[in-house]
Amino acid sequence: MTPFLRKFRVLFSTQFALMTEYRAEIVIWMLSGTLSLVMMLVWMGQAAAAPGGQIRGFSASDFASYFLATWFVGQLLVVWVAWELDFEVRQGTLSPKLLRPMDPMWGHYSGHVAEKIVRFPIMLVLVGLFAWLAEARFSLDWRVYAAVLGLVILGFTVRFLWEYSLGLLAFWTESSTSFQEVVWLVYAALGGLFAPLAFYPQWVQDIAVWTPFPYMLGLPASLIAGKATLEQAGQGMLVLLGWLAVFVLVRVWVWRVGLRKYGAVGA
Amino acid sequence: MTSPPPNVAVQVRDLRKSYTVHEKDPGFVGSVKSFFNRKSHEVGAVKGVSFDLAPGEVVGFLGPNGAGKTTTLKMLSGLLHPTGGTARVAGFEPRKRETPFLKQITLVMGQKQQLIWDLPALDSFLVNQAIYEIPEAQYRATMREFTEVLGLEGILKKQVRKLSLGERMKCELAAALLHRPRVLFLDEPTIGLDVNMQESVRAFVRDYNQRFEATVILTSHYMADVTALARRILVIDAGVLVFDGDLASLAEQSSGGKTVRLQLRQPISLAELSRYGFDAKVDGLSAELSVPRSEVSARAARLLADLDVADLTVEDPPIEAVMAELFGAGKEKAVAEGVG
Repeated sequence: MTPFLRKFRVLFSTQFALMTEYRAEIVIWMLSGTLSLVMMLVWMGQAAAAPGGQIRGFSASDFASYFLATWFVGQLLVVWVAWELDFEVRQGTLSPKLLRPMDPMWGHYSGHVAEKIVRFPIMLVLVGLFAWLAEARFSLDWRVYAAVLGLVILGFTVRFLWEYSLGLLAFWTESSTSFQEVVWLVYAALGGLFAPLAFYPQWVQDIAVWTPFPYMLGLPASLIAGKATLEQAGQGMLVLLGWLAVFVLVRVWVWRVGLRKYGAVGA
Repeated sequence: MTSPPPNVAVQVRDLRKSYTVHEKDPGFVGSVKSFFNRKSHEVGAVKGVSFDLAPGEVVGFLGPNGAGKTTTLKMLSGLLHPTGGTARVAGFEPRKRETPFLKQITLVMGQKQQLIWDLPALDSFLVNQAIYEIPEAQYRATMREFTEVLGLEGILKKQVRKLSLGERMKCELAAALLHRPRVLFLDEPTIGLDVNMQESVRAFVRDYNQRFEATVILTSHYMADVTALARRILVIDAGVLVFDGDLASLAEQSSGGKTVRLQLRQPISLAELSRYGFDAKVDGLSAELSVPRSEVSARAARLLADLDVADLTVEDPPIEAVMAELFGAGKEKAVAEGVG
């Protein structure tokens, strides 16, 4: 095992222990992120009232499958690092982490991964329950889930890096989380959280394909709901790899420049 | 900047740090004005500090609140980028935060913690073991030693948030020194601790310094910390170094003279005692007074000749009194230099 992996393993096991301490809070937090489920009910109602029981090829059951899948994928993409960094920079609690010979980013990353593992079994139970209630149907092809896993890992890492970069804006601003909230709205809209991307005007779709959002949320959800192909998944992974490279560079640059501005307030 | 000679652990030259501070008048009107026209100005926190520290040296770094002590320590530990001047610690430029540098230093902040709040301290120690790449045998030996010296037995498996302040500080010290750093920056390590706990922290730092020949810079508002650990004192005030010397020399900075304590066999009046010096006090058969530093011998001889003295001791004035005088001098100097 390389020295880096050894460090990451210890960080991960410590963060996992920490997340199990917060398991009750994680469940409550999960339940608060139910926008997908609200949208599911809205669109299911619209489809049931539409002539032929469908809107652009989506039946009520299709909407249930799609939005439950966006909820599932969205839960795996949850990132809160911008809030943590905003607090750490402004309160000076970043200082003890800066004194260690390891980039503090890895502590945050391992914490997020550990939280996903604590969250995962609860998600499965809730998705199963909601799917039964809403009569949703999911793909049974194992290759779909392998592709979803790849898209989610890439998508999560891309999102983690952009949120990390946004959080680091606290080196310059009074509060960096306001930027994060604006970006979340774009992520939710173009990612397909409010409606499948195909429902948007063509010009919006033309812009969206140049962003990482549809490939990290809408695409894996569509795969699970049987509305996208494995070929599209492969293309989506390539796009996400490109964005990953971009955000790795952005994060490193913001970190290096921002550290010169750090005031280490109160610590 | 050239590399310092090998017998210099810390080299600081004309180190400066200034901050941009925004100003706003209070209330609604002030907020509206600030929204359209935000005022700011530069404040010099450290204004050209220079000193060298030898390996294994323990230095007390003193000054009033806001004098620039912590800012200096943050620059020396790599947390802050200096606005000007240079610093080298253990042969490295702190601001670059290179891994070999970070493995040789530690900064203990009495008011900040590195321990994970909701987990036992042992989990934080394991994280440090991994991050600092401490070999298992060394980790076990250090833990055994720290557990014994700091009395950590029985508290390592408790959640940090359930520890008392003293227990937590002991764990913080252990976590900060687990990788056996060669340069220690201790910023108020005993703040808020009771007298016994302060003493055990001092004993631990003294022992660590002797065993590992570590260089220590200590800031504290408890003079007992400084007098117990440091022979050399640096005093900073308003960002300016106003004193660099040993404790005895620091006492000589005082214009208040020396304190003579007397144990008498016959009572004496305050008026009579005042003829021999100033600031005289009488409490039964115990008395004390201050005498000019240059006349200590002559005045003591007169006291012994004139009065029925059972015991007489001559002491430097309390270090707190000297510090108060120095801080005033620093302010005057800063004003004279046009900074502040």
